[in-house]
Amino acid sequence: MLQDLIIGLAGSGGDGVVSAGESLIASLAGQGYSAMLTKSFGSQIRGGESSCRLRVATGPVLNPGGELTVAIALNWEDFLRFGPELQVGPATVLIHEAKSGPPPSDGPMAGIRPTVVRAVPIEEIAIASAGTDQAKNSVVLGLMSGWFGFASAGLLAGLRKRFAKKGEVVLQGNERAFSAGLAHALRDPLGDAWMLAPSAHSGAGRVIRDGNDLCAAAALFAGCKFFGGYPITPATEIMQILQREIWKHGGSLLQAEDEIAGIGAAIGASFAGRKAMTATSGPGLSLMAEMLGLASAAELPLVCVDVQRGGPSTGMPTKREQSDLFAAAFSSHGDTVRPILAPIDVADTFGVTVEAFNIAETYQTPVIVLSDQEIAQRKEVIEPTDTSRLRLVDRLAPSPEELSSYTRFRFTDSGISAISHPGIKGGGYLAAGIEHDELGAPNSNGTMHARMNEKRLRKLDPLKQRRDLFLVEGDPDAAVGVVSWGSVAGIALEAVRAARAEGISVKVLVPKLIYPVATEIYEAFFASLQQCLVVEQSQQGQLYRILRMWTAVPDEFTSLTRSGANPIAPQELLEQIRSLAQAPASVRPRATSPLTT
Amino acid sequence: MNATPCSAKDFRSDLKPIWCPGCGDYGVLAAVCRALAAIGRPAHEVAFVSGIGCSSRIPGYTTAYGFNTVHGRALPIAQGIKMANPELLVLVAGGDGDGFSIGGGHVPHAIRRNLDITYIMMDNHIYGLTKGQLSPTTPRGTKTPSSVFGSIEEPVNPLLYVLAYGAGFVAQGVPANIDGLSKLIEEAIRYPGFAFVNIQSPCVTFGEEENQVKNQRARMRPLEAEGHDPTNRLRAMDLAQAYGTALYTGVFYRNPAPGPTYDSEIRRLQGEPKSDAA
Repeated sequence: MLQDLIIGLAGSGGDGVVSAGESLIASLAGQGYSAMLTKSFGSQIRGGESSCRLRVATGPVLNPGGELTVAIALNWEDFLRFGPELQVGPATVLIHEAKSGPPPSDGPMAGIRPTVVRAVPIEEIAIASAGTDQAKNSVVLGLMSGWFGFASAGLLAGLRKRFAKKGEVVLQGNERAFSAGLAHALRDPLGDAWMLAPSAHSGAGRVIRDGNDLCAAAALFAGCKFFGGYPITPATEIMQILQREIWKHGGSLLQAEDEIAGIGAAIGASFAGRKAMTATSGPGLSLMAEMLGLASAAELPLVCVDVQRGGPSTGMPTKREQSDLFAAAFSSHGDTVRPILAPIDVADTFGVTVEAFNIAETYQTPVIVLSDQEIAQRKEVIEPTDTSRLRLVDRLAPSPEELSSYTRFRFTDSGISAISHPGIKGGGYLAAGIEHDELGAPNSNGTMHARMNEKRLRKLDPLKQRRDLFLVEGDPDAAVGVVSWGSVAGIALEAVRAARAEGISVKVLVPKLIYPVATEIYEAFFASLQQCLVVEQSQQGQLYRILRMWTAVPDEFTSLTRSGANPIAPQELLEQIRSLAQAPASVRPRATSPLTT
Repeated sequence: MNATPCSAKDFRSDLKPIWCPGCGDYGVLAAVCRALAAIGRPAHEVAFVSGIGCSSRIPGYTTAYGFNTVHGRALPIAQGIKMANPELLVLVAGGDGDGFSIGGGHVPHAIRRNLDITYIMMDNHIYGLTKGQLSPTTPRGTKTPSSVFGSIEEPVNPLLYVLAYGAGFVAQGVPANIDGLSKLIEEAIRYPGFAFVNIQSPCVTFGEEENQVKNQRARMRPLEAEGHDPTNRLRAMDLAQAYGTALYTGVFYRNPAPGPTYDSEIRRLQGEPKSDAA
C-alpha cells in the first residue's frame, strides 16, 4: 500500500481540474491524511491550461514532491504545457482521456516508458452518466476512489456540498458520473499496491488553508488596523480577505490607485499610530522602493508582504520563484537595512507574519515578508493555529516625562526612540524622509547624518541573535550541510531527513530571518561543514550571494539553484547529498557558481 | 472636538523657514496658521503632510504633527492618516510639481474618494528647489534652464483639473491678501470633504515679475466682486479657464450638497455587525 502519493491532474480551463483537486484534499483531510494541493495555470483569465498537484501521505507532507505517482491528463496538449511542473517517471501511473490518444513521447514524457497506463473515455462516461461533459471531473474522482482507495463517502459528501446550490439535477448527474467512474475503476483494478494506506490520525480539528489566508488572519491577530494595496497576482487574496474582515476589527482598507499609493497610505496610517500593512508581488515591490526608504528614514513601523512570482518585469505571475530577495534587500537608495522574513510553509505564514509586525513595531522599521506563489496559494491540511504562545508587541510610546520635551529621534543605547503619533498632546514632531536631527528638524550636517545612519542600523543588531528565527535540524557535527529558505525549505527538510534515515551525517539550516544576515548563526552552522548546498528557486542563487557578502562562506560551498516553475525534487536533492557525503574531502568537486557556468 | 481659544502664533514652530526673502510661501504659512487658529483644534490633533519642494517644507514650520514625505506622494500618505484616524484634521500642502507632475496621478483618486482633507497647492509655476526648471504650470514659451528656447508645452490648469474630477470645494488665493487667504483655507477645512485651494505663491528668485506678491493686489479679481455663484460648477469651470491670464481669487466652487466622505463610509463599515464573508 502507498504511504505517500503524488497526483498530477491537468486539463483545459473549463475541465474542473482544480475543483477536483479541492474535493480530493477536503475528503482526504477528513480521513486524517496530511495533504498539499498546489495549482498551476497558464496566465489566461479564463480557459487555457489548468493543473493541480495533490500530495497526500500518512505522515507529514513537507512539499509538493517530485515525480508524480499518478498523472491524469484530460488532454495531453494541456498536460504537456506544464513541463517540469508535472514530472512523469517510468513508475508513474498514466491515466488519460482515451480520445486524446496514447501518451506522447515528448515534453515531460520524453524518454519515459510508462509501465501502467489506463486510457479512459472520461468524456463519454460523463455524457452517458450525467448528460454533460461538465461532469468529467466527477468521473475522475470516481476513478481515483476506485483505483487508490479514497473513501467514496467523503468524496460524495464533497460533491453534495459543492453542487448544493446548483440544484438537484446537477448534483444527481455528478453523483452518477462519480459512480460510473468508480465502477470503471473497479472493473479494471490497478491492484492493492496502489491503494493508499489508512491514516492513523482521525483528521479531527484540522483545517485546509493557504498561505494568503493565514497571512491575512495573522495580520488581524497582530492588530493590523490598516491595509493599503493594489490587486496583483499572487498576493491579491490577502487584500480581499482583509477587505471582508478588517472593518469589524476597527480597521480600514484602501484599494489604492497603484502600489505607491497603497504603501504610502499604509505609511500614513502607521504615522497616525496604527499597525499597518501592504501586500504585493514583484512589480509592486519595485514600485514601492522609494516608500520603503521613507519608512526607514522616518522610522515608521510597516509590514510589506511580497508574494514572489517569476520575474523580471511581468515575468510569470502565476508561478513560484524566489527571485525578489535582492530587490527586497537592496531596492531603495541609501545606507539602510530593512528586515526580511520568509515563512517556510502555509502554517508558518501565520507566525512569521505576526513576528513581522512585532519586529516592525519594536524597531520602528519597514519589514518585508517574502512569501511566494506556492506557499501563498497552495492548500495544506494543517492544525488550527495555536496563538497562545504568540506574543504581540506595540511600538515604544513616550512617557509623560518624555512628552514634556519630546525628542522623537533621541539617540539611545538601543537606537530605538519613543514614538508618538497625532492625537498625543506634547508629542508633535516632524516625520521626514529628509535627514533630520533628534528633534526631527531637517539637517544636512555630515556628522548628524552619520549618527542617524548608525542609529538606524544599530537598532536592528539584536535581530542577528534571534536563533528562534532559524530552524536547525540534523547532526551538529555533520560535514555536509544544506541551507534553504521559503517554500523550498520543505524540500530540503525532506531530503535531509531521508538522508539521515539512510545513515548519512547531514544537517540543515533554514533561516526565517533572511536579512539582516545573522553572521554568527550561519558561521556556527558552517563550522563543522566541508560541503554545503544552498538550495533555492532563483537562477542566480540570491540567498547564496547574500550570504557571501556577510559571512565567511568557504569556496567549496555551492548552491543548487533553478529558475521559477522548475521544481527541485526532494529525491534529486537527496542524491546530491549522497554524493557529497560519499566523496572524500580532497576530491570533492569544486563548487561551480551559477554566475560563471 | 471642542474648539479651544488659540492664536496663529500657537501654530508657528521655532524653525526658521529656508525660503528666500519675498517668497510667497511666507504668506501661505501665515494664512495657514491663522486658519488653524480660527478653526480652534489643538495643534496635536492636526496632521500636516507635504511632499518635496520649497513649499513642502511648510509642515515643519508649524506645531502640528508634520510629515515631510517624498516627492509627489503627500496625498496617499495623508489619506492613510485620515483613514487610520478620522478624528484628525488633515492638511496637505505642496507645490505644482509635487501635485501635478510627479504626483498628478494621485489627485483624481483623492478627489473621487472624497476624504475630508484639505489640499493646499502652493503654485509658483517653477521648480524652485532645483533652481528654476520648467514645472507643470509654467506658461508656454517660458525660458528656464530646462527650456532655454522657451517651453514648448501647454501648462496644466490645476483649477480645471480638480473641477473636472469632481472636487467639492475649489478656491484660489494669493499671499498678497493673507486675510482673504486664511479665510479661504478656513472655509476649505470646514468643507466636509476633499477641498482644494490653489495659491498663486510666486517664486521671488526664479519667477516672473508680474506674478510677484507686490503685484498681486493690483491683479487679483475677487470672484465675489464678479458676482460669481460658487454653487454653479459649470460657471466655475468657465472662470477657471482664465487660469494663467486673469487672477481670480475666492471660491470657484462649493458643492451645495456634499456627498458622503470616505471617512464616514469607513465608520459605517466599521459599524456593520457582520461581513457577508463566506
